[in-house]
Amino acid sequence: MSRAGNKRSATEAFDKSKMDNRNVKDDTSKPQSPFLSMFEGFRAELDEHHDRRERVIKASRDITAASKKIIFSLQRIRTLKKQIPLFVHKANQQYWETIETQYTAISRDVQGINAYRYRSITGGNQEFIEALTFQHYLEQQQLISYEEAKLRVVKLGSERGEVMLTMDDYVLGVFDMTGELMRFAITAMAMSGQLPSGDEESESIPQRSSKMDTAPQSRNVLTDLRELRASLEKLDVPYSMNFGRDIGKKMGVMRNSVEKVENALYGLVVRGSERPKGWMPELTQGSGREEIEGY
Amino acid sequence: MPNHAAGMVDPAIFEHLQEKIDEDVTFRDALRDIVQQLEKQTRTAQAILSRAHSTPSAQTSDVVRAAEAAIRDEITTVAGLSVQASKQPYYKWNDVWTRKMQDVCQTILFCGWLNGFAQVGQDGAGKLLTIEEVGGVLNVPVNLKDSDAFHLTIEEYLLALVSLIEELARLARNSVTLGDFRRPLQISQFIKDVHAGFSILNLKNDILRKRVDGIKYRVKEVEDVVYDLSLRDLLPKDEEHT
Repeated sequence: MSRAGNKRSATEAFDKSKMDNRNVKDDTSKPQSPFLSMFEGFRAELDEHHDRRERVIKASRDITAASKKIIFSLQRIRTLKKQIPLFVHKANQQYWETIETQYTAISRDVQGINAYRYRSITGGNQEFIEALTFQHYLEQQQLISYEEAKLRVVKLGSERGEVMLTMDDYVLGVFDMTGELMRFAITAMAMSGQLPSGDEESESIPQRSSKMDTAPQSRNVLTDLRELRASLEKLDVPYSMNFGRDIGKKMGVMRNSVEKVENALYGLVVRGSERPKGWMPELTQGSGREEIEGY
Repeated sequence: MPNHAAGMVDPAIFEHLQEKIDEDVTFRDALRDIVQQLEKQTRTAQAILSRAHSTPSAQTSDVVRAAEAAIRDEITTVAGLSVQASKQPYYKWNDVWTRKMQDVCQTILFCGWLNGFAQVGQDGAGKLLTIEEVGGVLNVPVNLKDSDAFHLTIEEYLLALVSLIEELARLARNSVTLGDFRRPLQISQFIKDVHAGFSILNLKNDILRKRVDGIKYRVKEVEDVVYDLSLRDLLPKDEEHT
């Protein structure tokens, strides 16, 4: 064995000060560790890995921030199933561009075997989906499908390769979007005294006696929220999967959002015209759980 | 029953999602079955290897032979895992098996250190199998970068190496108990050499960093053993004069 010849002497082993001074550079008196070249190879690989990871973390953070700003602007909209107003469109342009820049910047880092490696992109992906699904809903009163959303993300990174949108991130982003629908619905009710509805003819003005909001043919934000809630609740994901645990965390918040809109509508129906103009229902009541982001 | 076609959510969206979820669950369960089998075999191998702590070094070859046989079972299971795992993106599922692969890797490293796998690496006790050699024993690629398939990662190898260090620190004390005063010196040098290697890595705040931080205590533990021996003039004479 090659190392047998250069065993350290026993007296040297006493030298406890060496304990804190283990850097190879300092041990000039002793032969180098025979494993150094092997570890140099590892160092190069790990450095590359850490660099990739840090780039992804940074991109994810920037995508999250830009998506939040987009959502914020979208919350100034009071209509449903109409083109995004120009002022919102203009305000958001730069943030969509930021998102595209960030996805393009990291697409090279998440190719091939690394497609699922850097999970830190999850935060950015979910926030992006939240913005995308919310805008899509405001424009078309529809939930954008996973396949379509996936395609959007693919397009964003396309210059240097596709960026993967996992099903988990899509679903969790949709969960978060319910909070935005709640905010949108409640603000609209406070401002105009009615639930936003895409249907021009049958504005769902709540009245004490006549039509209830559950009239089967009329759709509004609340019926949509309930439909979305039912779909999300129906998803069967075992708790033993990470995805299942993540859903579990978001489920309560989502249910709360739906109930807040229901409570607000109740108030509107019961009190009706007694309500002072611009009065906002109390949003925080009765929610023992974590608040919706940004609220 | 509300008219779904006209609703917000196209039912096909969630039907499709549920299908994908069910596929994932089935796939994960298949992986888990293999990994459970592997876990059992690894425990067997570890139990055999731990006999090294109570076996004089002159007789460790029996332990090594038995361990090699147990490791062959692990290798068979890893082959099955490799086939199954390679059907889907590696990093989508690697958390299902990464801990077990570390343990498998550790049994191979320890067995190799005890001079198992005589045909691999240099001959003699105290050898460190490289990641390539461990991959060779396991018959799986290592540090795969250009294709997406099952492999042994650098992190798994390094974490297994930390576990080997911990095992050897224990072995140093137990060797003394068995009257072997030469082995602690060998272990001391080995651990220092590995520690020197680890110290050139730029580690981030992760599990590897945490485990590697513990190596310095193992270095000290073994140095204390060597110190105790030298104080009582128990170190082999030929070692003292080199």
